[in-house]
Amino acid sequence: MKKQTIFLTAVLLTAAFFVSVSDTHAAYHLFDDKLRVKGSIYEFMIYRTNVKSYEKQYRDTKWGLMRTKGTLELLYKAVERNQYQLNIFGFFHWWHESVPDFDDEYNRAMASRNRKRYQGPFYDQDDWINELYLDFYAGKWNVRIGKQIVFWSEVEMVRTIDRINPLDLRYTTPGIDPWDEIKIGLWMMRGFYNSDLPGQLVFEWIWIPGDYEGVRTPREGTNWGSEPGPEGREDLRPRGFGQSAAVNEMWRRSQPAFSLSNSTFAFRIRGNSEVSFLGAYYLLDWTVSWYHGMNNTPVVDRDKLGEPFILNMDAGTVNGYLNNLAIRRLVGAEFARVPRGLWEYKFFDAVGASCQTYVPKLGAVVRGEFSYEIGLPENKANPDHIEDTASYMKQITGTTERDVINVGLTIDKPVKINWLSQRWGASGVLDCTLGWFGQWRMGNVSRIRRTFAYQDRSQTNFTLTVRSKFRNNELWPTLRVLYNTRNWGYTVLAVRYTPGKHLRYELGYMYFFAHDPYHFREANAEDNDSVYFRFGYEF
Amino acid sequence: MKKTVMMLFSVLFVSQGFAADIRFPVPSYEGQALVQLRQWEKNWTGKKINAENADQVKDFLHEGVYTAIKNPEIFGADTIWFEIVPYRPYKLSQGVIESTRKYAPHSKLDEKRNLVGYGEVAGIPFPEPKTGIEMAWNFDGNTRGDSHTEIQTGSVVDCKTRFERATEQHRWELYWIGRCDVPPRPAFSEKVNPRGIARSFFQRHAAPADFVDTTMLEIKYKDPHRMEDLWVYTAMFRRIRRYANNQRTDSIDGTDMIYDDQDGWYTSVLHNTYDFKGRADLLTARHQDPEKTERIKGQGYWSGLQRERVNLWVVEVRNKDKNYIYGKQLWYLDPEDWHMAFKVMYNRQGQMWKMYEFGYNEFPSYGNQTTPIFNTEHIVDFLRSHGSPSKRGIQAVGVEISPKLFRTKSLKQKSY
Repeated sequence: MKKQTIFLTAVLLTAAFFVSVSDTHAAYHLFDDKLRVKGSIYEFMIYRTNVKSYEKQYRDTKWGLMRTKGTLELLYKAVERNQYQLNIFGFFHWWHESVPDFDDEYNRAMASRNRKRYQGPFYDQDDWINELYLDFYAGKWNVRIGKQIVFWSEVEMVRTIDRINPLDLRYTTPGIDPWDEIKIGLWMMRGFYNSDLPGQLVFEWIWIPGDYEGVRTPREGTNWGSEPGPEGREDLRPRGFGQSAAVNEMWRRSQPAFSLSNSTFAFRIRGNSEVSFLGAYYLLDWTVSWYHGMNNTPVVDRDKLGEPFILNMDAGTVNGYLNNLAIRRLVGAEFARVPRGLWEYKFFDAVGASCQTYVPKLGAVVRGEFSYEIGLPENKANPDHIEDTASYMKQITGTTERDVINVGLTIDKPVKINWLSQRWGASGVLDCTLGWFGQWRMGNVSRIRRTFAYQDRSQTNFTLTVRSKFRNNELWPTLRVLYNTRNWGYTVLAVRYTPGKHLRYELGYMYFFAHDPYHFREANAEDNDSVYFRFGYEF
Repeated sequence: MKKTVMMLFSVLFVSQGFAADIRFPVPSYEGQALVQLRQWEKNWTGKKINAENADQVKDFLHEGVYTAIKNPEIFGADTIWFEIVPYRPYKLSQGVIESTRKYAPHSKLDEKRNLVGYGEVAGIPFPEPKTGIEMAWNFDGNTRGDSHTEIQTGSVVDCKTRFERATEQHRWELYWIGRCDVPPRPAFSEKVNPRGIARSFFQRHAAPADFVDTTMLEIKYKDPHRMEDLWVYTAMFRRIRRYANNQRTDSIDGTDMIYDDQDGWYTSVLHNTYDFKGRADLLTARHQDPEKTERIKGQGYWSGLQRERVNLWVVEVRNKDKNYIYGKQLWYLDPEDWHMAFKVMYNRQGQMWKMYEFGYNEFPSYGNQTTPIFNTEHIVDFLRSHGSPSKRGIQAVGVEISPKLFRTKSLKQKSY
């Protein structure tokens, strides 16, 4: 409790600092405008409103997150000539997640090494560099070399073709933090050729010479992650490093080396075409893309799979290690060391397309995305004699591949509310975005191992985002809803307040619901209803 | 053959006759009116007008300006003042004068009130207009030197709380048709402009902090019935978003300005009906030195405007959409180059809601000519005590800007 008081005091002092600083510019320009410096410092707090009784053994407080984050963005115009130009762009960030510092039970629910990686930018040694690249322009060519984040998507909240950078989902969900802070930068070469061909075609290619990062899912023991399991002896609870943490650690220890043979390639053509249909003009912004790279989660190495049998205790195999860990947790014994190289990261291909246009008849902008994933690596689960039900505890029996189709469609329609347009400095417009997202897994999907959506051939999501602005953009209320037809989803209601040049505040409430928590990771967060508050200073 | 030659001569003669009849530019004051003006100026030139002496020049102040001067607290100021300067006719470019004399004699509107030959002509189509719609086409014919680049720095001011947000945009604007000064004239060829673009702008935001590197591209077409296309690359989300046309009444960056308000009116002339209300002899900001403007923190309305008397054309404007954000607008158009000196917007209840004032000055443009462009502006909300004062640092007028800039790919490539 004392630690909590200290941290809350620190937070209040930080807030007081933000309030007292004087107005300056939006960004600093130094060295005769050759260097631009901007950045931010934010505090992001999540307070749980629905902590269940079984969870209390892992929590002293209801704080789910208290993350202080600073960002620094540098843009240096190194060379400016008529024929060519060279810029250097860097986006650095640092953060500290404080809840494990003042909540002892929360602290103990994580293995110490995982906690260190979770609390700051320490998962990889270059985590503090979000982006750092040389940006070279010459005529129709543009080449960018360095750590970068790529955005290929048109739609919001759900990704279909936007797969170059993996996501870091340990702290928050898309829609709350900006994408460029959720995505993990990768070292790559990226080039553009701006042609004069009809359709204003832009050819884009990406080569990632072996820098691989997997998706960072919520860590076990943390606010968004599962509790460490199996629970084990009562006098040892909470005890970090359960099955989920073990799998994450195995994945980490199997991660591919920085090697040319692990290269990812991607290619995209972007165009802008005008078509006339039934007397109306449609200007289409379209893309087609191809991707060849490793999946962001691995499959098991068949040679190191081990017998899919509950009495297999061989800690040198995947099934054996997980069984071994479960037993050791139950009896309170010391854990075996996590072996390296039990999992394999495999390549797959994906083709995609996107299009957006304004449709006058609807008075709306329609965006669509499609991707076809070819040979997506999958694990197989549960031997035939075992009853096949959704659970975490599924013995792995081998690997396979499946094709997957993803489709997204959104309609952005500004809805005018006439009486609102002359009140409270409102824009009088509700920006409404209605989305539909579908996923179909091809072939036989029974006994294809997935923690969530096990045996589901298809997924259908609907999303709704409604935004507006009041007091000349000082107040930004936003409603976000995601509903999956298997009856799970979440709702976020938030208000952003931007009173002056630099200070920013956001208060929101997140409500999760799920018929079955095994349907998806977000469904698994059904008890994570929370209030969140974020405030910061941008310059 | 003789008949053909005779007809050709007749046509040429008639055309020359019309051209000779065209008076352009038409100064704001001539003859006796100019003499009387100079007499009045002898007493007033150089004087600062504030709440104490505003009543003495009330006849030459618009109601909105008078309200602001007499009640500075509405806009967060202790005092709001302006300076009276003598009237000076604009020096228009030879290109504008020649284009107007060449094309205006043939100007006419079709049954849908569209300007016949729009896109193939240039200059001011109706130098001596009779109707409101002709005045609106004159306003549309002002191409501001055919191209210009500028840096706009401003503030969004809540005059009650004195909170301010900074805005800064770097803007490139190009007219593809109606070009008077910069070759090609009067329009880009179809090869360069296959889509029939009339005007385009590209904008990069440098403030507020959350909008740094946001870029914006808008294309207006010469087909007056075709809606504009607007794309915004939001750096925060790193996405290029198409905007729907009904978002044009949304405010820009939280200022009091909507997309349609830019430069006075930034979309098709044919969206409105126009009713000529007469002339108004008013003090309006011309030949403005932006360095002379000033304001304190929390003040949404500029002090230090340099106003000269101008005999403006007044047009009442109503949007054809009955649900349009403004019930009506009053446009005050400058008689010399037909820019908008200021406009007043009324809400649907008929209350004076907003006022958008420009401070113009002449800038060097293509071929050692000069072109009037505004360098100071404020748009103020009388009902909410809110204002958006800004200045435009004009970098270049009448320069060659590559049409290739105005492509969607520029949105990402000119940003980070």
